[in-house]
Amino acid sequence: MSRPAAVVGIGQTKHKKKRDDVSLPGLVREAAQRALDDADLTWTDIDAVVLGKAPDPFEGVMMPELSLADALGATGKPIMRVHTAGSVGGSTALVATHLVQTGVHDKVLTVAYEKQAEGNAQWGLAGGRSGGMGAGGIFAPWMRSYMTRSGAPEHIGWMVAVKDRRNAAKNPYAHLQMPDLTIEDVKESPMLWEPIHWHESCPSSDGACALVLTTEDGAKKAPHPPAWVLGTAMRSELGTFPGRDPVRPQAGVECAHEVYDMAGITDPRKQCDVAELYVPFSWYEPMWLEGHDIAGPGDGWRMVESGETQIDGEFPVNPSGGVLSSNPIGASGMLRFAEAALQVRGRAGEHQVPDAKVGLAQAYGGAAQYFAMWVVGATLDAVDQKR
Amino acid sequence: MSAADTAPAEDGPVTMMDYFMQLEYHELLCPVVRRYASQLLEGRLVGHKCPSCGLVYVPPRGYCPICVVETTDADEIVLADKGTVTNYTVVTPVQYYGQEETEPFVRASILLDGEGGMMNLQDIVDVPVDDVHVGMRVEAVWKPPGERNVDEISNRSWGSAEGCIDGWRPTGDPDVPAEQLRDKAF
Repeated sequence: MSRPAAVVGIGQTKHKKKRDDVSLPGLVREAAQRALDDADLTWTDIDAVVLGKAPDPFEGVMMPELSLADALGATGKPIMRVHTAGSVGGSTALVATHLVQTGVHDKVLTVAYEKQAEGNAQWGLAGGRSGGMGAGGIFAPWMRSYMTRSGAPEHIGWMVAVKDRRNAAKNPYAHLQMPDLTIEDVKESPMLWEPIHWHESCPSSDGACALVLTTEDGAKKAPHPPAWVLGTAMRSELGTFPGRDPVRPQAGVECAHEVYDMAGITDPRKQCDVAELYVPFSWYEPMWLEGHDIAGPGDGWRMVESGETQIDGEFPVNPSGGVLSSNPIGASGMLRFAEAALQVRGRAGEHQVPDAKVGLAQAYGGAAQYFAMWVVGATLDAVDQKR
Repeated sequence: MSAADTAPAEDGPVTMMDYFMQLEYHELLCPVVRRYASQLLEGRLVGHKCPSCGLVYVPPRGYCPICVVETTDADEIVLADKGTVTNYTVVTPVQYYGQEETEPFVRASILLDGEGGMMNLQDIVDVPVDDVHVGMRVEAVWKPPGERNVDEISNRSWGSAEGCIDGWRPTGDPDVPAEQLRDKAF
């Protein structure tokens, strides 16, 4: 990286099952305007726009980056679309970051969204055919494999579901507001894809997220504290091949180590104050804790069970409520990146983790084959101060 | 559409409506997949065995992505139509437009006997969904020759033999111990 980049503006919409009060352009503009307001910038200050969303069939709107250019103030400016399935919100933020770090642009607006109520994601994933099993159906067998391999008891999944929904109750933007959800409720909820219960699954949401990334100079002029981007990494692998380990995909392991190395992190469990991980189904919390070497083999579920990943634990995971509480698919990855940045800026409100200086964010997509991660810090030397 | 769907909304202005469109296209199969499909019609399941690492790809891809070497007809092997369930899930179908499944159904990964080869997203038939388990021995249920088709075979197929194999049914043989299948999650 040639020069530092920082997040100075963060905006998100209220996530809901159906945002029928706004059109698609209205939805993305709502998030973008909030990010600009946070950065105290106007549309004319922006040099370029980077847009991300999940596959077009989810809304049936093809090449939306073109039709949304007006709503995003991008007419006459560079605009590009990033496309990495469910991880897209994360990779979109990374592309915007790299445009700043490499000196191509000084102020970049990046936006990600999904308006699930305008289409049917399961129809889209099935290519319109019968017998579609949804993302949950693809991931469910791997969760069973994780349980068998690690010896995790089944209540771990229920615990993650309850934790994230209670966290979401502290986040006014979160879709699901279930402050009173209990382990019993999760356990008794209908089975969707064995072993995933209804309450262990993400909702279907309309929503958008936006970030403004800028230079060191831009960060000095910003009205609020910046979040410095200390490490970025993306990786992918084939979705199926003989000998693949889908429970701990190699691309996820390598992505994590690259981002740790770049940020100077030697022990993520000790040196990160907060993590926002892409957990659309409860079991992915312990799976990513192990899959990104935050916990040792078989220790991910023990971190959950001991309460270490709760908002007041030693390693809080998804204080925002995570994907389990809001899932505007294309935006879900960027929300992880945005929430980690909010935490180190000290601007997470009621779900703020006290004194968070280093934040880790991750997004994954496809058949758990695309990964995007970043580490953000309250200062450029935030990680050094942890060592 | 039912009459209720088309009746004027009484709860306020219409803000959204369904719009169904149809897009038909014909996907030309690449030679390797075309060969795989023609063999399926003959009642043979074939794959490519990588000449370098020995991993078996079904359907064949024409290359081994791990070794980055080309595989050709010379690397084709006929696979067993018997195998073992290595992993599965029971799917509760979501009733999206075009969904014909109404009851919970199984999608399983099957490790084929002999030379190996893994098939994903396979239906397990002739057995209650609750009885499906890891280690279960199964065999292919072929459609009669005259009823086979390869209409659903695509270049991006995930191990599908749809149109030729109706699913896999238990053979009744003793299970393979689940511990032996732990690294075959796929």
